[in-house]
Amino acid sequence: MKKILISLAVLALTATSVQAGPEEDRMAFINYYKGKFPSVPDNEYANGVYAIDPVGRENWEAIEEFPPYEPFIDAGQEMWEKPFANGKGYKDCFPKGPAIAHLYPHWDKEQKMVMTLPLALNHCREANGEKPLKYKKGSINNILSYIAFQSRGNRVDVKVPQDDPGAVAAYEDGKKFYFTRRGQLNFSCANCHLQNTGLKVRTEILSPTVGHVTHWPVYRSKWGTVGTLHRRFTGCNKNIRAKPMKAQGEQYRNLEYFLSYMSNGQELNGPGARK
Amino acid sequence: MIKTNMIGALIVALSLFMVAQVSVSAESKAGMVKMDDAMAAKVADAIAKAEAARKKAASVDGEWRDTGKFIKNAQKAADAGEYDKALKLAKRAEDEGRLGYEQAVSQSELKIPSYLKY
Ligand code: HEC
Repeated sequence: MKKILISLAVLALTATSVQAGPEEDRMAFINYYKGKFPSVPDNEYANGVYAIDPVGRENWEAIEEFPPYEPFIDAGQEMWEKPFANGKGYKDCFPKGPAIAHLYPHWDKEQKMVMTLPLALNHCREANGEKPLKYKKGSINNILSYIAFQSRGNRVDVKVPQDDPGAVAAYEDGKKFYFTRRGQLNFSCANCHLQNTGLKVRTEILSPTVGHVTHWPVYRSKWGTVGTLHRRFTGCNKNIRAKPMKAQGEQYRNLEYFLSYMSNGQELNGPGARK
Repeated sequence: MIKTNMIGALIVALSLFMVAQVSVSAESKAGMVKMDDAMAAKVADAIAKAEAARKKAASVDGEWRDTGKFIKNAQKAADAGEYDKALKLAKRAEDEGRLGYEQAVSQSELKIPSYLKY
């Protein structure tokens, strides 16, 4: 603990305030990982830790032959097609659907907030008199799996309209969350997924931030089911003994906005399978 | 603050004890109850302080994972009359609340680590 605190104190001394926009940030991330993993091609980052862990990759490829998330895609298709009690359905809310994952997250000008896909799905339900779904576990993962599967091949393409101060602020807020040390262990997302990417924590190798958002929901062997991105945020916050934020609350949505921008250009390949 | 509280509680406890000593046995029981009351008040105060510290940390998104749990368990211990345990847990929660708050406000300005090159 003491050691960590000392090294973080040193880190704080060497930290600088940088005024940079989203594209400068993204390039800095890409170049940083390029320096660290010179042999990993850009498009591999969508495969998460398996881009940099050849042993784990073999297991993963074997798992992907009989994808454990398949039943959830089927259940999600049923949800997509089944009308609500009022006769309307998801199709009416999302006429471009079901391949819409690449349209999220986006800055919602009217509501002045980051709109994520899970939130949009629940807004659709509520507008049609249905109960909202829970944001971490349960059937929201089914419909998300179906949409993710249908959206495969599209690319992450997040925009932060620079003429909209609200959007810029939300992005900056997410970026700040990412670099802020939290919890009793005093770690930021960056400490693990940037600074120490490739190192081992217990039995797991730390994945790069670029590629973090391409494949949700994820079937995790540890969970024994599929879970959402915000469930993962919750887990990473708890591991460093910080109190997690509310799933789909403002902090995590802004974090998702920043994180997704860092993955711009990566191919969507959800649902995913992870350890 | 905590020190003066403890000294205060000691004086209260001691004086109650002395009162109990000189009283007849029926009254000595009442003395014990009073001693308990003093302790319970001290624990309630510690828990209230811990909860305030937790809330302050939460107000800047700096709350730690187990602070709320410590406070809950402190309350449980207090309800069961395990005052020492309750005090320890409340103190720990209060410390965490303070540290979580300081951790968050010390980073109120975003700093990009120097290993990330622009
Ligand atoms: C103590 C180190 C640590 C910290 C701090 C941490 N994580 Fe993680 N995270 C892990 C580990 C270990 C895994 C599992 C292996 C992997 O994919 O990196 C993981 C996995 C993830 C994944 C899933 C990756 C995938 O491909 O499915 C995401 C997304 C993620 N973390 C985001 C975050 C965010 C955002 C933060 C900051 C709020 C954060 N993490 C903080 C250790 C950490």
